[in-house]
Amino acid sequence: MEKLLENPRVWRGSSQTDTRVGLTSGYPKLDRCLPGGGWPLQALTEILIGQYGIGELRLLMPALAQLSAEESESYAGEYAEPGWIAWIAPPFQPYAPALQQCGIDLSRMLIVRPKDDSELLWSAEQALSSGTCAAVLLWPDKLDDQASRRLQLAAEKGHSWAIAFRPLNARHQTSAAALRLELQSTGEGTRVHILKSRGGRPTVLNDLF
Amino acid sequence: MSRARKSPVAARDTAPTSSAKQQTLPFAEPAVPAAAVKPLSITPTAVQRLWFCIYLPNLPLQACRSSAEALAIVEEQHGIYRVLQTDAKAAAAGIMAGQSSNAALALLPALTLQERNPLREQQVLERLATWLERFSSFVSIAGRDVLLLEIAGSVRLFGGLPTLRQKISEGLAAEGFSAAMAIAPTPLAATWLARAGRRVCIRAKENLPAAIRQLPLTCLHWSNGQRESLTGMGINNIGDCLRLPREGFTRRFGAERLLDLDRALGDLPDPRDSWRAAERFCADFEMTEEQSDRELLLNICRELLLSHEQFLLARQLATQRLRFSFFHLKSAASELSLGSALADRSATRWFDLLKIRFEALRLPEAVIAVRLRSGLSQPLQAETARLNFHSKDGKQGRRYSIAQLAERLTARIGDQSVNAMTMVAEHRPEYAWSTQDPLSDWAVSTLVTNDIPRPLWMLPKPALLTLDCGYPSHRGGRLMLLEGPERLETGWWDEDSISRDYYTAMNAAGIRLWVFRNRQQAPDWYLHGIFG
Repeated sequence: MEKLLENPRVWRGSSQTDTRVGLTSGYPKLDRCLPGGGWPLQALTEILIGQYGIGELRLLMPALAQLSAEESESYAGEYAEPGWIAWIAPPFQPYAPALQQCGIDLSRMLIVRPKDDSELLWSAEQALSSGTCAAVLLWPDKLDDQASRRLQLAAEKGHSWAIAFRPLNARHQTSAAALRLELQSTGEGTRVHILKSRGGRPTVLNDLF
Repeated sequence: MSRARKSPVAARDTAPTSSAKQQTLPFAEPAVPAAAVKPLSITPTAVQRLWFCIYLPNLPLQACRSSAEALAIVEEQHGIYRVLQTDAKAAAAGIMAGQSSNAALALLPALTLQERNPLREQQVLERLATWLERFSSFVSIAGRDVLLLEIAGSVRLFGGLPTLRQKISEGLAAEGFSAAMAIAPTPLAATWLARAGRRVCIRAKENLPAAIRQLPLTCLHWSNGQRESLTGMGINNIGDCLRLPREGFTRRFGAERLLDLDRALGDLPDPRDSWRAAERFCADFEMTEEQSDRELLLNICRELLLSHEQFLLARQLATQRLRFSFFHLKSAASELSLGSALADRSATRWFDLLKIRFEALRLPEAVIAVRLRSGLSQPLQAETARLNFHSKDGKQGRRYSIAQLAERLTARIGDQSVNAMTMVAEHRPEYAWSTQDPLSDWAVSTLVTNDIPRPLWMLPKPALLTLDCGYPSHRGGRLMLLEGPERLETGWWDEDSISRDYYTAMNAAGIRLWVFRNRQQAPDWYLHGIFG
């Protein structure tokens, strides 16, 4: 029995020892629902959206600004230097003046425009595992279970945060992501539905912003 | 001199004040015969050297790439642009060196003025020096307009002095340069003879003094003031200089000038720097039989890269470009070029880049030989490790590794596909940013950003919105205007002026949009950004 429990493939709910501190999202309401009090870094986060512009960037901006700023203390001393933020296949042009207004250091942006999905995944993996990017944002057409697992591993290896934006119908696919969110616009505000959270539980947050 | 030759004990007895000058200038005493200084000069067993001097008096004009009809090269002297050289047509109009640029323009209004370009002249000299390396193993660039070749060893190879001289002058003429040439046993004597315009060839050192004595002072590279004071003393040629008492000459004009005379006559050695063209690496790997095993080809490439690394390592160089050629028996060679943002020589890093590119390379048939050619090499820029006590292993040199990442990405998906961003001080929204190379130095924008929010997503081009009873609509629903208008009216100075009223609007799905109404032509509504 003891031997069986020592097998790393055996998962026990009580053995959640992952007390890694997350990066505060800048939205206290969301932070409270996330294990570690913020975004799980060194992992894959999936954000499911019905259409672009629903608030998916606004959700991330405070955290990205923190990552791109000099000497990010909240990073638990992991990095002494700020990292780069890679944008892989963004659907539109990220607008520099707006990014600056959000407090993001423009000199640490890398925009990559691959030709197809296989190049996209390869670039994302390279960027994640290089150890130079604090965050990698990617907009894949398709992302299967195997690819998400690869991204998750690359993020762990390179101590980087992977954020994949996916359509709503990806909801029923399995994924290796540590955190899956769904964004919906309710007319007055934005509803965030936490579909999966490693070490946490699914929640619905109304009117986050 | 005799005092300097005394034993060390005796030398210590003399007062330092009186001996200092004589020790630095062992030839200052006029009574010492030339034979006494022989030990420092070329020993009789040494090979007789022969220097070929090429003097390019019109280099500033010839280095200038201008197709203008009447051209004058100007140079700033004491805040005024003065004519330095002119072409034939300008000279015919009466324009002379030394005129101010205004005077020259008054004489010939159609005159083209070009500022002297020393950098370009240096490049031309280096190009000529590279070309001259075929005639001698020792080419030297002496000053701004003089090239020196040591030809004692090449004379026989090229079939005698006249043939060699003809080959060089024909080559220079073909490149469009007018040059004065002279040959002498010492580099300075050859230079002076060429500058004086004497087309002479002096092979024996004994004949040198006689040839030099006649040269006017204008052929010397000494300062104008020194030449003028010599002329004021009634000294008009080098022979007169040589006749002056050495001590007095040193006192008046400095030791360096006297040493110049000694060097020209060959009494003192005159070492010169040899110029070397930038080196390239080129190596072939030939196989005994055709190979199509890609794994094996990669291994051969690695071998070549390792010897390339050794080559660069020995010279403290690095390179930014490499080219592999894979030769086939029948088809044309397949080429594969690699580029790196930072000059590098490490075989491992080049091999990593090669592997990415090699995957995509299609070889039409089996390979019989592989060639590696490096691009122009440059001195290795060593990275200084940062003193950072907090950084863990592998975290240092972050900028370097973002360079590596950018290189790997561009190697596979293309140069234009990896960019960084920067702000541009411009009020037109579409011009307020620009992409740039991820490795270039960051320009700091001076534009103060205003507080009016800008959308995070920008459309590549404003998209025309459909109208619903005169109201703009998006995806089948009328837009609700939330904020605005913000009028942007600028850009009248170029072709692309704008006059727009910008609004923040919300569509039926609750997405905030950045729209504008054109005020210039038709009052159409456009979608320009999404707040995201």
